[in-house]
Amino acid sequence: MTLVPTLAWRYLRGRGARSLLTTLAVVFGVMLTFGLNGILPAMVDAFTHNLLSAAGKVDLTVTSAYNQPFDPDVVDRLAGVPQIDTVSPGVQRTAPLPHEANDSADRLAQVVVVGVDVTSATSIHDFRLAEGRMLAAGDAATVVLNSDLADELGLRVGDNLVLPAAGGTSRFRVVGLLDEATLPGQEQVYLTLGAAQQLFGFGNRITQIEAVFTEGADRTATEQAVAAALGPDYQVGGLSTESSLLASLGVANFAFSMFGVFALATAGFIILNSFRTVVAERRRDIGMLRAIGMRRRTVTAVFLVESLCQGIIGTALGIVAGWAFAAGMFAVMAPIFESVMHFKVGGPLFTPATWVQSIVLGIGVTVAAAVLPARSAGRVTPMDAMRPQLGEVFERRVGHRAWVGVGVILAALFGLTSGAALLVGGGSVAFLVGIALVAPAVVNPVADWAAGPLELLFSREGAIARSNLQRNPGRSAVTVTAVMLGLASIVAMISMVTSIFAGFISYLDKSLSADYLVIPQSIILGQGNVAAGPRLAAEIRHAPGIAAVSSLRITQGKVDGTAVQVIGIDPDAYLKVAAFDWNTGSSDAAVAQLRSGRWLIANGIYAAQHSLVVGQAVRLETPNGIRTYHLAGIGNDYLNAKLSTLYASQTNLERDFNVTADVLVMANRKPGADPDDTRIRIARIVADYPAFRLYESESWRAEQMATFSQTIVIFDVLVAALALPSLLALVNTLAISVLARTREIGMLRAVGATRRQIRRMVMAESLLLSVIGTALGAISGLWLGYALVTAMGAVGWQMPYSFPWSGLIATVVVGLVFGVLAALGPARSAARLDVVAALHHE
Amino acid sequence: MTQTAIVEVAGLTKVYGSGAAEVTALDAVDLEVPAGQFLSVMGPSGCGKSTLLNLLGGLDTPTAGTVRIDGQTLGDLPDDQLTELRRRRIGFVFQFFNLIPVLDAVENASLPLRLDGARGAEATATGWLERVGLAGRLRNRPDQLSGGEQQRVAIARALSTEPALILADEPTGNLDSKAATEIGELLRQVSSEWGRSVLMVTHDPRLASFAQRLVLMRDGRVVDDVTLDGSREGPRQALERSGLL
Repeated sequence: MTLVPTLAWRYLRGRGARSLLTTLAVVFGVMLTFGLNGILPAMVDAFTHNLLSAAGKVDLTVTSAYNQPFDPDVVDRLAGVPQIDTVSPGVQRTAPLPHEANDSADRLAQVVVVGVDVTSATSIHDFRLAEGRMLAAGDAATVVLNSDLADELGLRVGDNLVLPAAGGTSRFRVVGLLDEATLPGQEQVYLTLGAAQQLFGFGNRITQIEAVFTEGADRTATEQAVAAALGPDYQVGGLSTESSLLASLGVANFAFSMFGVFALATAGFIILNSFRTVVAERRRDIGMLRAIGMRRRTVTAVFLVESLCQGIIGTALGIVAGWAFAAGMFAVMAPIFESVMHFKVGGPLFTPATWVQSIVLGIGVTVAAAVLPARSAGRVTPMDAMRPQLGEVFERRVGHRAWVGVGVILAALFGLTSGAALLVGGGSVAFLVGIALVAPAVVNPVADWAAGPLELLFSREGAIARSNLQRNPGRSAVTVTAVMLGLASIVAMISMVTSIFAGFISYLDKSLSADYLVIPQSIILGQGNVAAGPRLAAEIRHAPGIAAVSSLRITQGKVDGTAVQVIGIDPDAYLKVAAFDWNTGSSDAAVAQLRSGRWLIANGIYAAQHSLVVGQAVRLETPNGIRTYHLAGIGNDYLNAKLSTLYASQTNLERDFNVTADVLVMANRKPGADPDDTRIRIARIVADYPAFRLYESESWRAEQMATFSQTIVIFDVLVAALALPSLLALVNTLAISVLARTREIGMLRAVGATRRQIRRMVMAESLLLSVIGTALGAISGLWLGYALVTAMGAVGWQMPYSFPWSGLIATVVVGLVFGVLAALGPARSAARLDVVAALHHE
Repeated sequence: MTQTAIVEVAGLTKVYGSGAAEVTALDAVDLEVPAGQFLSVMGPSGCGKSTLLNLLGGLDTPTAGTVRIDGQTLGDLPDDQLTELRRRRIGFVFQFFNLIPVLDAVENASLPLRLDGARGAEATATGWLERVGLAGRLRNRPDQLSGGEQQRVAIARALSTEPALILADEPTGNLDSKAATEIGELLRQVSSEWGRSVLMVTHDPRLASFAQRLVLMRDGRVVDDVTLDGSREGPRQALERSGLL
């Protein structure tokens, strides 16, 4: 090996524990970047997989762009495309299973009803029978399903499966069981096409066509040919990449990336600090190397190669840890996703981009952080070889850098308030860098302020600790900054998470304020829930004890080719039982406006993504052609807070989209009506509609809150993962600070300080440093969190800023506990120092 | 002085600080060291002997005057060439040994050769380590060697590039008297057997007695320049004569 790598590698190994600590910082940073980015693609994959027809040899699926049943003549148009070999029309809709009061919580809530054209479907799919027979073309009330699903439902051949229908329920006799494994979320039952059409009241309309290509047909060309043949009303493939759910996942990805960037920024700082100390410690080695003929750039190269080795090792371990982290997160999240969203998530999925990004960032940040110390090592003169080793030699020019820091903070403020995601990300990192530059200038004044209570606790040792700290504000600032960086990013993240949840809870309280909710069993609207005819709402409206009733209807439209969910509300009744959380400039008057022609309300995400202003025209593509609506207001409701949504009157929904079925009914009790009697009456009505479930608003809210609590666990894990690098930073800088002052501590012992006093002094110093770091971290984290919440609003996730009280208290406690924990090791080793050896310490 | 001079110093002056804080560490010093001579420099603390050594090694720049090492004037050289000159023509021996703690004896001794990209660096270094009496300690790291042994490694390192001049700064300052004597003998061998000029700064009259010539300094000036006869008392007598003891 040549000299530079040999020296770099030997030094790295020679530093032992400290190399390990700094490398661990890189490991954690890469772990978060790699692991978090492995989660999202897997979710998208799971989502896509669950939506697309997975089994069989289907090459292409055609569905309505408006998520509606369509005329069967489309089948012939599709079959007319030259590259299409076989086509099979079908119906696919989710149907809830009738619910009984004593059912357990994990009982299967719904199945996917697939109506198949028996002749063509059997040529595309391989239905392997375990028992009984396959559906026959003329069957009217028969069903075939997988044997494991039948076991779960307690069904055998000859039993009846009860499914909800638009007008009540229908019974289907099980004639065959298939020998296939059922994926969670894909619990399919097969009916004949006619039976399914009748079940859902579709007439002769269908919801999908499956097709197989001719041998050797090109996928892209065929998809384009199909799209051209069918026109814009039909969607080729399955999941649209423009789907708003994917857009929401994109926002989540942005937040995830911020976690990773913060962790890596902290790691970068730890490395910078570690190398600065290493340069100080190795001054005499460097001086000798320069004296015997090493060039400046070779000295610099030794340090850079050392950081490169560290970066490579840290990144490699970080990728392994990231994989394990993502797998662990999936273990926590999978049950939540399966119970709430009804889809199966597999393991983590790492795209080539994630690999490249993690490797470049991991190694890049490590080497970049070492550049400044390496350059300063190159400037060490040969004269340093002649001098006795100094304990510590770096003292910062405080004033100059503080002003640079102020400038960086101002630039960061600009980025954070710009509303552009990239500038917000860059701005938040720049903000922390700016604070780090200002820190040395504020350490002494803050130490004065914080030292009072400390001296009460630690008496004389506290006073010595304070003077140690103030004597070298540069060194103190390094520790303070490390603590601050870690805690600021945690507080900012907690602010964001708290605000997101507070936003949802506020939507929940405001928009679903009705006493009774009659809702389908999945909370995401428009995912194939069976709708009820207008009779359900009418029956509830006429029940004694009920004051006001309002319903929601749902369909899909397109604006400029992009799909958007359109919800129909009754402008006369909606505000009596529910409310919008209005954005600035909009009010309840917007709801009244929906009555007077084609007016719309957009939710915050949609309005932000399309830069809509009140009064603006929106050209909405409907099954009956393009219709021009105008925007009456911008507001949010709970169910659709995550999806791009437009609200129109139910009259317009019927006129332009032919939709008249309700998917959600809300009702209020008359003042003075008996709650129990009223509930029993409504429950009797709802019992005839097994797709729906009656909730009293309190119990529904409680159920939603339980889901939140489960989800918050995920974020707690993330925040804890982010806190680890901060602990490392603190332990690392404290250990370095004790090591650098070995001789000084030896002197204190020589002149009469007891071991206990030394221990208390180091402890007091650590506590004082972490108090200052925690205070700065909390303040900058709060501001950063506020800026990020505002910035999220600008990219479409409008939410009220919620002050993270509990998170803040937890962070302060964690900061102080870390301060004590980090000092334990160094305090013990300082107290145990051999006095003579310490005095001769080089 | 009949032989070629390896060191030629004329009017060498070094002033630190300015105004009231101005200190003249070296005041118009003239000095020549012939090839193969072992020269010792003595004087009280602050007399300028370390400054002289730093200027001779090109580690520091003079305020006035010139330094020529092996025919090359240091003042004219840019940093890279000065670095190269130090690597090839000058060997350093420091009070604190200054070995790289993570490298073994052979690796430490071969450092200047490896910096120079020379072939067979380790073999050359091993040869020198054997000559300075460390044949059995080649693969030991500094923390596994005694002080005297560490200084021998440092001397082997200084000799490995076959330099014209060895500069030694208090080479026995951190050693016991037995080890110090051994180092003194070794340095004499460096000049007498291996033909290198050695310029050594020391406080120890016994160590100085191994040299052939003694330069005494006070307040930045050369106050005496005597030839030694190998007697242990020579340096002490010279110090007394100059009023430095």
